[in-house]
Amino acid sequence: MTNLAMWARLKSPWVIHFNSGACNGCDIEVVALLTPRYDVERFGIKLEPSPRHADVLLVTGSVTKQCADRLKRIYDQMPQPKFVVAIGACACSGGVFQGTYGTLGGVDKVLPVNAYIPGCPPRPEAIIDGVVKLLNALAAPPAPPKASEEEAATEAPAEEVTEVPAETAPDAPEEVKKDAE
Amino acid sequence: MIDYPLLIFRVLVFPGFTFILLFTMFCDWVERKVEARMQNRMGPSFTGPHGILQPIADFIKMLTKEEITPCDSKRNVYKYAPILALSVLVFAMAFLPIDGSSVIPGVSFAGDLIFVMALVSVANFMLFLAGWSSTNPYSAIGAARVMTQFLGYDIPLVLLALVPAFLAKSLTISTIVASQWLPFAILAPWAFVLFIITMQAELEKDPFDVPHAESEVVAGHETEYSGGKLAFLKLARDVQIVFGAALITVLFLGGANGPVPFGFLPELWGTLWFVLKVLVIVVLSEYLTVLFARLRIDQVVRVNWQFILPLTVLSLILTLSLAYWVYPMV
Repeated sequence: MTNLAMWARLKSPWVIHFNSGACNGCDIEVVALLTPRYDVERFGIKLEPSPRHADVLLVTGSVTKQCADRLKRIYDQMPQPKFVVAIGACACSGGVFQGTYGTLGGVDKVLPVNAYIPGCPPRPEAIIDGVVKLLNALAAPPAPPKASEEEAATEAPAEEVTEVPAETAPDAPEEVKKDAE
Repeated sequence: MIDYPLLIFRVLVFPGFTFILLFTMFCDWVERKVEARMQNRMGPSFTGPHGILQPIADFIKMLTKEEITPCDSKRNVYKYAPILALSVLVFAMAFLPIDGSSVIPGVSFAGDLIFVMALVSVANFMLFLAGWSSTNPYSAIGAARVMTQFLGYDIPLVLLALVPAFLAKSLTISTIVASQWLPFAILAPWAFVLFIITMQAELEKDPFDVPHAESEVVAGHETEYSGGKLAFLKLARDVQIVFGAALITVLFLGGANGPVPFGFLPELWGTLWFVLKVLVIVVLSEYLTVLFARLRIDQVVRVNWQFILPLTVLSLILTLSLAYWVYPMV
């Protein structure tokens, strides 16, 4: 039964896309995934309009302070089990907006992120590869993170998959809660 | 004397519940493939051979997800509307002669066409209730659109369903099927074309899919649903599409009657012809869906009252005249 559920989960990851203050570059690459050239529906990936239907939250953009509580709310509206993929340099670390007064700098300041896909913007192939690595990490039994993974990150296209147990969602840092008011 | 094992087999396995559900999943896969190929894509490819298990994977995945009930929702309605919509539609399917006779032997009665059309209305009302009870603005708009569209298009649908009834001079579905030695789609092609257009609106497919227009109302009446309830809601929609195609098959294409009669295993050949005809209609309907852009809600309503309804009445008058003065002489 668990195998069946896992098979179904791996074969039909429905995604929802959220722009938390991106410049639209990454958004275009996300939309490119649905075009005939890349066609992620081959893998059963569908872009769903409602967060209630989705399994994977694709976040682009360094999280602006205006957007932070909206992003958190969208995440809270998704049913378990749910996963977050940070797409683009801004979503991973804040990118060129790192340290500015209006942004928090990175999705992981607000949400537990399961996979980081760097790039400005990342190519659609890189996004597909990141999602596939996320799914493979789900299928594999949980293992302690290895130090050797950082070596792979130096090769292009660079994707790193960081496993965060989705069930234990850490609360947002105090400053986020304060700023979100 | 009723043969109980046979009855239970027919209701639960073939051509009842299991067959209808598996056939629905298959039709869903066919739709997604046709849509993808028309858009120059591949569609589901890696879930089973050619992605044929994709709808089943989606269904199981939705069943295993967390179910969220909004705290303001009308809980009982919210909970039971998807299940009721599904069961009403499967029940309506049981009246259609899938393998030459209806699912429960002897359930057919005089006037069951009206009963089946009423069940369609009840199922649509369940979809409306599903959206209305979740008290989400998008769901409410989607539900109101379901109701607006359904109130308009149900009238031409029922009037057009009367065309085969007049041609067969009966309101019994089995009699309508039995009297189609020549399919009614050939005797009354105008009603056939109108019925397909109206059915597109009734099934909320393009160009009439305003109730769940993603760019306007998120997912319409499905917006708040998640987990198993979403699975049943989506399955109800897919069964509705198959039911619509099956109704067109029964009323206009001669149901399980094949062009060549075979002496042995009539049930098997009947099912084969029925399934083939339903698939043709499903593919045709998906072609229309991909070809046309979405109308606005006011355009949908205007198309109904200004064009479809007058044309329906005209086609009914034309068919009646032909049925009483021309066809008996041929």
